[in-house]
Amino acid sequence: MLIEQSAYANRWRCVAPTAKGIFALGGFVAAFAAGTPAAAVAVAGLIVAVTLAGARIPPVRYLRVAAPALFFLAMSGLSLAFSFNYAEAAGGLSLQLTSAGLHQVAEVSARSLGALTALLFLVLTTPLIDLIALLRRLKTPEVLLEIMVLCYRMLFVFSEAVHDTLTAQAARLGYATPRLAMRSLGELAANLTLQVWQRAHALHVAAQARNNDGPLRFQEAIFDHAGRDIAVAATAGVALIALAVGMGMA
Amino acid sequence: MTAPSHATLLALEGVSFRYPDGAIGLDGCSLAIRRGSRNALIGANGSGKTTLFQHANGLLRPQSGGVRYAGEAVEYSRSGLRTLRTRVGMVFQNPDQQLFSASVQEDVSFGPLNLGLDRETVRERVAAALQAVGMLRFADKAVHNLSFGQKKRVCIAGVLAMEPELLVLDEPMAGLDHGMQEELLAVLEGLHARGITLLLSTHDIDFAYRWADQIHLMVAGRCAVSLEAPNLADCADDLAAVGLPLPQVIALHRQLAASGLLAADRRPRTCAELLTMLKTNDCRKGEPCCVA
Repeated sequence: MLIEQSAYANRWRCVAPTAKGIFALGGFVAAFAAGTPAAAVAVAGLIVAVTLAGARIPPVRYLRVAAPALFFLAMSGLSLAFSFNYAEAAGGLSLQLTSAGLHQVAEVSARSLGALTALLFLVLTTPLIDLIALLRRLKTPEVLLEIMVLCYRMLFVFSEAVHDTLTAQAARLGYATPRLAMRSLGELAANLTLQVWQRAHALHVAAQARNNDGPLRFQEAIFDHAGRDIAVAATAGVALIALAVGMGMA
Repeated sequence: MTAPSHATLLALEGVSFRYPDGAIGLDGCSLAIRRGSRNALIGANGSGKTTLFQHANGLLRPQSGGVRYAGEAVEYSRSGLRTLRTRVGMVFQNPDQQLFSASVQEDVSFGPLNLGLDRETVRERVAAALQAVGMLRFADKAVHNLSFGQKKRVCIAGVLAMEPELLVLDEPMAGLDHGMQEELLAVLEGLHARGITLLLSTHDIDFAYRWADQIHLMVAGRCAVSLEAPNLADCADDLAAVGLPLPQVIALHRQLAASGLLAADRRPRTCAELLTMLKTNDCRKGEPCCVA
């Protein structure tokens, strides 16, 4: 929901999604083209600055959204840095930390950080409906887009259904003891399964009522100044790549 | 399909439909909807209102009897259904059942795009439909961020964008607070003024009496009575048979007429009308009016 809120409430909501996609792509390429960890970190820092200062995403919200991914990155880095070593002479199993391992961790982590900030820039500034429209223009197979549209819509319908059912169960002491909680969770799952089936049928009927005969067709939004936005984003993306490569060569 | 001047827009003739689990949906139901009229379908839960609506839109096919649209029998071929669903728009009771795109304007564009219209025409229709229901400024919003009443209006816009002749609304007032009901009513008035025929189901007899031109009473899968709304007072027995009271304004008017305070031959449709009649009597004569 934090991502959803930012995507609709940021300063660049009306900037063409294509432009934001191009800038994010530039960020990805720059992160992977960075010759040194410092270059990748610099790219990440610039993208964060653009996201916070340009799109006006509140820093606290940004950190809350990034925290799980950063935690995962830290765990991955640690697992890469240390390796188990078995040697009878050294007394059996030991943990090993090598300078080569540390360099590899720094490189991978810095690049991942750059890619993460690029991805966060895109999702925090662009609602999913605009991203789906962008994917449609990029000729993504219709069936994938339809699944995305329906899943996205159903996410909110079912989160409401789950919330309502949980509240109704809790109001009748459904979660008073661990044993009751297990039982209530089972009933919740059964109830939702039935609702999935019923809602799928209801959506099919509703689509028929509006003359649908197969593919789900939707109108695409128009963005003013799309050409200007794309030119600016492309320039910024190229500048990021140049910075990453330039710092690596220096 | 038809001459547009045909007076009866939709007609069900002895339609019967039974669901696969054996439940009776419609049982020899006959009903006629006049072009340009406002119609209220009244009946208890399970009396067949939704089943009737689904026959009007061609979602269900009669097992016996027939459906006519503007004088001609409905064809259940792909093209026949396409024509029918273009002319008869259906708004479902639960908005979450009807809205399946995440964005307001995307969802409203769904119907017109299914009609095979070009992008520019679709864009114009979407804007016009959202304007008609007062939701144009929400065009770029996500559906899940709307209130229940706003979702209902988007549902109506989604059907309006297909420019139907007959708009069928399944319990449109259900779940709406008073303010939202008044807003929706204003939207419906606007649509009626544009010449769209309206058919809606409701449990609110007072609302049906003040709003509709014609009232149809559904009982156990058939239309027991169809009458002009001003004549509802004569059908107290039919209403009582299905557990419905007369509208309160009728009961109040009768009592006032019996007390000699108002004329019995002028029947008010709303409490506001009743109050106006009372005030007019006082102002003009300074004493109660004569009983007719």
